[in-house]
Amino acid sequence: MTAIFAGAAELKRRLPHRHPMLLLDRVVEVEPGARLIARKAVTCNEPWYDRLADDAAERDHDYPAVLLVESCCQAAGLLATWDDPVPDARGDRVMLFGGISGVRFTGRVRPGDVVEHQVRLTRSFADTVIFEGRSAVGDETVMEIEQLVIAFRPGSGLATAAPATADRA
Amino acid sequence: MSPACTPVAGRIEHGTAPDGTARVSMTVGPGEPVFPGHYPGFPIFPGVCVIEFLHRGALAAAPEPDHTWVLSGIESARFTNPVFPGDTLTADLTWRRDGADGRCSASVTGPRGGVARIALRFEDEGAR
Amino acid sequence: MPDTQPTPLDLEDLRRTIAEVFCVDPGEVTDDTRFVEDLGGDSLLALEVIVALEKKYSVRFAESDVRGLTTLPRTYDVLADKLGAEG
Repeated sequence: MTAIFAGAAELKRRLPHRHPMLLLDRVVEVEPGARLIARKAVTCNEPWYDRLADDAAERDHDYPAVLLVESCCQAAGLLATWDDPVPDARGDRVMLFGGISGVRFTGRVRPGDVVEHQVRLTRSFADTVIFEGRSAVGDETVMEIEQLVIAFRPGSGLATAAPATADRA
Repeated sequence: MSPACTPVAGRIEHGTAPDGTARVSMTVGPGEPVFPGHYPGFPIFPGVCVIEFLHRGALAAAPEPDHTWVLSGIESARFTNPVFPGDTLTADLTWRRDGADGRCSASVTGPRGGVARIALRFEDEGAR
Repeated sequence: MPDTQPTPLDLEDLRRTIAEVFCVDPGEVTDDTRFVEDLGGDSLLALEVIVALEKKYSVRFAESDVRGLTTLPRTYDVLADKLGAEG
């Protein structure tokens, strides 16, 4: 049984994301300020499969590539804030997905796979942190990310940009 | 040909811009499935879903539509403004073949200006 | 992976690196193109330029150096100083 640095409950204390967009299940390794490894298990009950026709083919059950990216971004977000968590999306300091480049999808992910994201902090500035990432199922690499940029901005910036309806949605 | 399984439910409109380039758009409905968890009580359309909008739009407007294009990479994506329920996203696509692969890039705009600049790469799995 | 020999500073090579970060063709990065006004550069892109230059030329920037990186010639001069200083 590998060490668990953060299970589901701890993840919810550290990330604002909830079902169906809390896309990590467990942190199995962390070296604050340097690197982190987190896992996401993919099952037949992912909500996105709900809209598939009953006779959908195996290939139609490929886990959405952009959600692999989101899952890896959440791992980077955890590493960026390990010692100073940002659990509320509307706090005084919010974490934003600034940008990403050099992403390669090199393998498919299907129900039954457990994806392991390895993220490494490559450079940090005052309000911006830059990572690289590699995601694998077993020892097969399924995604590589050359550069992922996460920015921290004052909370007011995001909330005020929201039209009034956002809160009542 | 939309990906079978996608986190973005909105309908993609496929038309042409005044200068003839392919234009795709989609209104981000408050019922998008990601919103309950991103974030509770404060719905913000995730950046990866803006990428997915372009992914589905690129497939809808792909050259050689009889070919099976499969997303093989994200060359780059940069986000400049958040997207909220009710926003309509629009992108004028620049599609070009790059040897065996395809590349589709676009600036995505919303009601409050630029949202993102994205370049995607596709693999051509041949004619169906 | 041992650190490879840092790339010698060359204006055309630098033009290509900057164009890549801004996702434009090198031809669009002329000597008087202004990164912010003409290429829509923002604070995040400026930091990405720094990271790209640090990797390619094995130099270290301070975040405040961003203010000097406004055009290709200015970026070349800042880099030349750094390489000269650390050379």
